[in-house]
Amino acid sequence: MHAIYAFGVLILLAFLGSRLLYRRSRPLSPFNFLFLTGLVYIFLGLFLGRQGTNILSSEVLRGFAPLISLGLGWIGFLFGFQLERRYLRRFPVKFLWLSWFQFLFNLLFTILLLTFALGRILPETPSPLRYGMAIAFGLLVSLNSPTLLNAVASRLPCRGDYYYLARFLSSVGAFWGITGLMLLQSFWRFPPSAGPAWLRGAGWTAASTMLPMLLGYLFHRLTKGRVAEQDLLVYLLGLVFFASGAAVFFNQAPLYVGMVLGITYSNLTRIQERIYPLLLSSEKPLFVVLLVLIGALWEFRLDPAALALVGLVLFSGAAGNILPLPLLGRALRFPVRLPHRFGLCFLSAGGIGVAFAVSLKLAYPMPETDLFLGISLTVIILSELISPGVIRLVLDPLDEET
Amino acid sequence: MSLIPMLLLFLLMLLLKSPWTAPLSVPDAGTDLALGFILIFAYLFGKQSARLRLPSITGYLFAGLLCGPFVLGFLNRGDVNHLQLLDGLALSLIALTAGGEMHLDRLRGRFKSIFSLVGFQTLFIVTGFLLLGWIARPLFAPLAGGDAAGLAAFVLLLGTLATATSPSTTIAVITETRARGPFTDLVLSAAVVKDFFVIGFFAFALSVSRSLLSTDSSFDAGFLGHVLEEIGGSVLIGAAVGAGIILYLRYINRELTVFILAIAFFTYQISHDSGFHPLMICLTAGFLVQNLSPHGDCLIQALEKVSTPVYVIFFAISGASLDLHALRAGWLLAVICVLWRALLKFGGTWVGARLAGESDEVQKRGWGGFISQAGVTLGMAVIIEDAFPEWGGSFKALVLALIAINQVIGPIFLQKLLLSFGETRGRSE
Repeated sequence: MHAIYAFGVLILLAFLGSRLLYRRSRPLSPFNFLFLTGLVYIFLGLFLGRQGTNILSSEVLRGFAPLISLGLGWIGFLFGFQLERRYLRRFPVKFLWLSWFQFLFNLLFTILLLTFALGRILPETPSPLRYGMAIAFGLLVSLNSPTLLNAVASRLPCRGDYYYLARFLSSVGAFWGITGLMLLQSFWRFPPSAGPAWLRGAGWTAASTMLPMLLGYLFHRLTKGRVAEQDLLVYLLGLVFFASGAAVFFNQAPLYVGMVLGITYSNLTRIQERIYPLLLSSEKPLFVVLLVLIGALWEFRLDPAALALVGLVLFSGAAGNILPLPLLGRALRFPVRLPHRFGLCFLSAGGIGVAFAVSLKLAYPMPETDLFLGISLTVIILSELISPGVIRLVLDPLDEET
Repeated sequence: MSLIPMLLLFLLMLLLKSPWTAPLSVPDAGTDLALGFILIFAYLFGKQSARLRLPSITGYLFAGLLCGPFVLGFLNRGDVNHLQLLDGLALSLIALTAGGEMHLDRLRGRFKSIFSLVGFQTLFIVTGFLLLGWIARPLFAPLAGGDAAGLAAFVLLLGTLATATSPSTTIAVITETRARGPFTDLVLSAAVVKDFFVIGFFAFALSVSRSLLSTDSSFDAGFLGHVLEEIGGSVLIGAAVGAGIILYLRYINRELTVFILAIAFFTYQISHDSGFHPLMICLTAGFLVQNLSPHGDCLIQALEKVSTPVYVIFFAISGASLDLHALRAGWLLAVICVLWRALLKFGGTWVGARLAGESDEVQKRGWGGFISQAGVTLGMAVIIEDAFPEWGGSFKALVLALIAINQVIGPIFLQKLLLSFGETRGRSE
């Protein structure tokens, strides 16, 4: 199908999708949670993609690669914009430390487990690629999203310390994973280039961070005085596109660049209240388009190796979140005890996990990343299905205790 | 205030696109970067030109020209082609806005003026260009292949294309200056009506030219049926789209931005590919919503919300695609044609406005509102290039040069005119 019609189909889907997304009046069944987080549009993309009706064919998808990158930059910006100093300061520093150590444990645990397992499941894959996949899975399972937690919140009889701690951790947790993605892309360039790896990596890290910071400052300069809503929209779109475009141009992570732009701007500006409605009005349709395109990119496979990997990644994500909590709680002297089961609140990676997986796939266009994307999407969807029930089961008794 | 960020952005782009960074970049991955850059840079450039009392779209065009493949090369031809996907969307939004801005109650009593202006401008320009072709034979003959029939066809088609005025540019300047009043209505309506008229006349001129140049083909009268079918079908589809928009606004009225984008995009592409006139469809739809329902203002507000970024990209990309090589190669003839066209516009407007009983001001200065040329003219030039391969290329190059000049001076003329008529209420005032 002609790319233009496919684009039209996407706009229409975005329109219909944004009408369905985030409807709160429905009863919250697992299926409705798939709607709520938008993940159902991945299935729609799968249906429209190469393995389905082929409306979004490989050729069309190549044409839409810029749109995917823009979507990733946008998601990064949305996430980064929430990391405002004023918000973070409301919580004790130990919350941040907990988030960091939990990420670190999760990452290392998954890397160890999967490095071992991948050698047996995919013995023919070169070992550097297996290590790369293990790191990528480690970063993926360490990401979490607050969307489901917020959605479940209305069903929780009492929202206490555990709920607010879980919300904080899932709100900021993705920062580490996205930064990890940037480091991976900086130190492990594709295609490989000459020169000492550490120097190159440090250079790319600095560039990926400085450029969006500069753009964030520019954004602030442009919106410092009285600024009309039209101006604001053009600057917002333009700078997010520019930042993610620059990232793609140098094969860096648009998700990270967008995030740093968002963090910089939200901490400089005083007009957050004017930006949020703009972001929210464009968020839903853009998100739906992105998810449909990602679904179309998905090369769905159901073989023993893939199933084994899905199981392992799910297990390592759960274990990585569960195991360190009591120890970390004691080490950081938390006022409430952190039982193992509290870690089950962080299984959902949501949209940010999907964005991470596709970002990695675009950065490393090779068969192994097709497999990575497929496994990641399956893991994310399964996590979304089980998370709402698990969160209620865990948080209800814990918050009742406090 | 926006000068320093603009300069910083420019330097940043210069650095990112410099030869030193080229080995580090991914080939053919610069479209997003180009899109983001041109959106902000052209917008800021437009703001600067507004400070100089020039229309913002002149700034967008200049920014596009400056950053395009012919000057700095921040946007290469591939980027420009990629981003031209947005043209259809922009044109549909522009046409919807134009239709929505045409209030029947304000137009009543002006039909005579509109048709008189369109008719006399067309008459003056087409005959004037035939005359110019005869007077300036040495200049035109080498381009037209040397023989008399080729020359006649060349100048007939050139005159036909010279008649057109860009409704999109007219609407953009009117929207920017928030102009409202009798002269604004007249210019806008005449530009839009003329667009339809020119398309019909172009089909006629094309058929005549084919007859002139071919020994075995006779005059094809069947084209009239095609033109009528195209126009009638477009109006009918436009009515259906308009009814759909009215129903949506009446019963649903949510997520208007995405709805408008979807309508604009689908209407443009489907109608364009099935041989109907997308501009006419959207214009009819907008006109019906404004005049047959109470939702006209709601539609205009929704359009205004989405239109700014789309307009900026559309005009900046138009600027980037202005062919400076063609202008450099044939600038003398292009300047002669631009001046001659302006003179003929003046003559046609003066006679047309006088016979319709318009004011002295409209008779003497109204011509300045009809200078700009863009998409439709370019589209017709492409058709001519295909139809007459022996001289179509040089014809298109000359038309591109004409568009380049007219599209730069046209908005300035129109804005000054709207200001002098006291009908503006916008930023440029």
